[in-house]
Amino acid sequence: MLRRSLLVMLSVALVAAFSLTVLASSEDGVLVFGATGELRTLDPHVSVDNNAWRAIYYCYDRLVEFKLGTTELVPGLATSWDIADDGLTYTFHLREGIKFIDGTPFNAEAVKFNFDRLFAMGLAPAGTFGFVDKVEVVDDYAVNFVLKEAFIPGISSFATDQGCIVSPGVMEHDVAGDWGQDWLAEHSAGTGPFFVDEWTHGVRVVLARNDSYWGEPAKLEKVSIRYIPEAADLRMLLETGEVDIGEKLTVDQIEAMKGTSGITVFEAPSFCCHYVYMNCQRPYLNDVRVRQAISYAVNYDGIINDLWRGTATQMRGPIPVGLVGHDENVFQYQQDLEKARELLADAGYPGGGFTLKIMHAPVIPEWRPMALVIQEGLAEIGIKLEIESYAWATLRDKLNTGDFDMSHGYWTPDYADADMFTWYWFYSQNWGLAGNRSWYKNVVMDKLVTQSRIEVDPDKRLALFQGIQWISVGDAAYLYLLQANYQIVMRDWVKGYVYNPMLLNMPNFPGMYIEK
Amino acid sequence: MHLSILESGTEEKRSPNSEWRRVVRGLRKSPLAVLGSVIIGILIAMAIFAPFLAPYSPTKMRLSERLSPPSSRHIFGTDDVGRDILSRVIYGSRISLRICTVVVGLTIGIGTILGVTAGYLGGWVDELIMRISDVFLAFPALILAMAIAAALGPSLDNVILAMVVIWWPRYARVARGQVLVLREIDYMVAAKALGVSGCRTFIHHILPNCISPIIIQATLDLGEVLLTAATLSFIGFGAQPPTPEWGAMISLGRNYLRDNWWYATFPGLAILVTVMGFNLLGDAARDVLDPRLRRSP
Repeated sequence: MLRRSLLVMLSVALVAAFSLTVLASSEDGVLVFGATGELRTLDPHVSVDNNAWRAIYYCYDRLVEFKLGTTELVPGLATSWDIADDGLTYTFHLREGIKFIDGTPFNAEAVKFNFDRLFAMGLAPAGTFGFVDKVEVVDDYAVNFVLKEAFIPGISSFATDQGCIVSPGVMEHDVAGDWGQDWLAEHSAGTGPFFVDEWTHGVRVVLARNDSYWGEPAKLEKVSIRYIPEAADLRMLLETGEVDIGEKLTVDQIEAMKGTSGITVFEAPSFCCHYVYMNCQRPYLNDVRVRQAISYAVNYDGIINDLWRGTATQMRGPIPVGLVGHDENVFQYQQDLEKARELLADAGYPGGGFTLKIMHAPVIPEWRPMALVIQEGLAEIGIKLEIESYAWATLRDKLNTGDFDMSHGYWTPDYADADMFTWYWFYSQNWGLAGNRSWYKNVVMDKLVTQSRIEVDPDKRLALFQGIQWISVGDAAYLYLLQANYQIVMRDWVKGYVYNPMLLNMPNFPGMYIEK
Repeated sequence: MHLSILESGTEEKRSPNSEWRRVVRGLRKSPLAVLGSVIIGILIAMAIFAPFLAPYSPTKMRLSERLSPPSSRHIFGTDDVGRDILSRVIYGSRISLRICTVVVGLTIGIGTILGVTAGYLGGWVDELIMRISDVFLAFPALILAMAIAAALGPSLDNVILAMVVIWWPRYARVARGQVLVLREIDYMVAAKALGVSGCRTFIHHILPNCISPIIIQATLDLGEVLLTAATLSFIGFGAQPPTPEWGAMISLGRNYLRDNWWYATFPGLAILVTVMGFNLLGDAARDVLDPRLRRSP
């Protein structure tokens, strides 16, 4: 007995000593970011995942950039740009004398290479530039983008993570014509203020400062993005100071942490929408009346006021409040079980009597209780909803192949235009991860969402968006749940954080620093 | 070894009735066994009378009352969607009991039959069954159960199936060992010499004499079965929402442990008390039933 307690004491002492060393070794120049989401690839031409973008974004620059903390555009790798009168050609004038981290010079050829690679690979990020017909090198430092048709929010697409400019040097790592995908999945090859120093899968990604950066150098030496799957662990590490800043904590945890000394909770309205995909290609859900019935069965108030503690607002159609095009008169579903039952009966399922499945991922801890509330609502109208929990990557694979009935999801716009919530969500060519995750198809909708991309007259464009919102609500293509406030928790010693409404989950690492 | 053979031999002379009386008497003498029986009795009562005992439905959510601390209204508090934890713990006893009885029942059935067959027939049948059981015993039980549950998809039934698959070799070994001992005993040899048919020996002499070591093994296993099932649910393989399974409740509640201690604590206590009950009962049953441990009368 004595020997056993000695052993216990010894191990406690060892653990304590170990954690002290960990604490002591955190330096001022290293920011530790705790992330509950794991990433899969670091290749900006492959990834459409905010968790990966957090690591990718600041390793690269883009032709244009979002002005810090705003939705405005400012010059990036392009010093200026011209848009032809017909809106069909963009000309970018490039910054001279810049080199990629691998020494390759940045020029018009490099820009063209990026779009060749993006289109040749043809993965989800290519969709962002689907409006581009061809890229022409004008001279060493000027490049033309010829568009298929005018595209109003086109220019801001170049500031998204998909617009990251990758070094043509990645072709040295080309294996069997994969455009260096295997290599770039694990490394970075940009002109940005950081570069990927190390990625230990499932543990951390370390970004190191690019000392030869052409612009203002980053203040931090390193950013260590640690993968901490459990929100409860992340909270503890934030409280002990082992992690400087992190997401995602639950609304409940953040509420409990408010007022803790040494901790700052940042909160602001955001365009981040949580909604539910209803696979329109699946039995039952392919009937609009069933989808409407489901939309009527959900206890929205309970989700928003109780689960989210009022840190969210109910969506009114697909376009969030704050974006031009949002129609505040569009129909909003409220829980109405009678109506839901009637619709089910109309659809030929009086009293329900069928089973559906809904997917969620523990990465977003709010999803599980939300699924329970939806499950309870559907049970009221006789639909049995089975809740399935998947790892993030598996969930996304299933979304991409349409192998699901319903799934929780969230969406953050890459650029500040309602197009992010219309063309992506409803265009039938975007089935899967690209954006149309309900696998929804409506010929009229296809016309409207494509027309709204090219309509130059602002009033006509508004009218198109209005039509889209009404149809999308009538078709109940998604379960429109809520528009969340953005919340992030950090230590008081983290300075220089600026909230970027367009770059959610991608805090401005280059401007941040630690002051203990 | 020789001693135990002789003692097992004496077993046969007792009638089943007096044997049971002896067991009950033995159990009553030990206060810990009484405590264990009381705990398990309460558990069984809870499972049977759950609808009358639980103050609320185990799945009804009251979102406005979510994460309420224990109070007169909710004695064990509420969880993150406002369900009454006391009611969920009470209904959870049904699930735990179901897993325990089904898993132990099935493994006893399968394990004993295979074990006895192997021991009685010997030869290549014995080799085959025992090598298969070796394969299952070669894996860490939990890991194998996880693999099977993951392959079959997450559900309570699959967890039960996975546990039966990993558990039967234990009983097969116990039963086979017992048969090997019995086979060589004098009265068995005598029975054979007198021309008693193999089938009759098997049913009337071998099977009954395998029961007590199997029961000892089973009572000792119940607690472990419950824990393993809870562990599988904790990792997400077992009961699916909104089923009130104790392990799954702890799994969800641990995220709230810092601020809402009651969420994970009460289902945890339920597991603790139940497993303790099973173990006390198991220890006592072993003391009473195992001839090797029996004190002289």
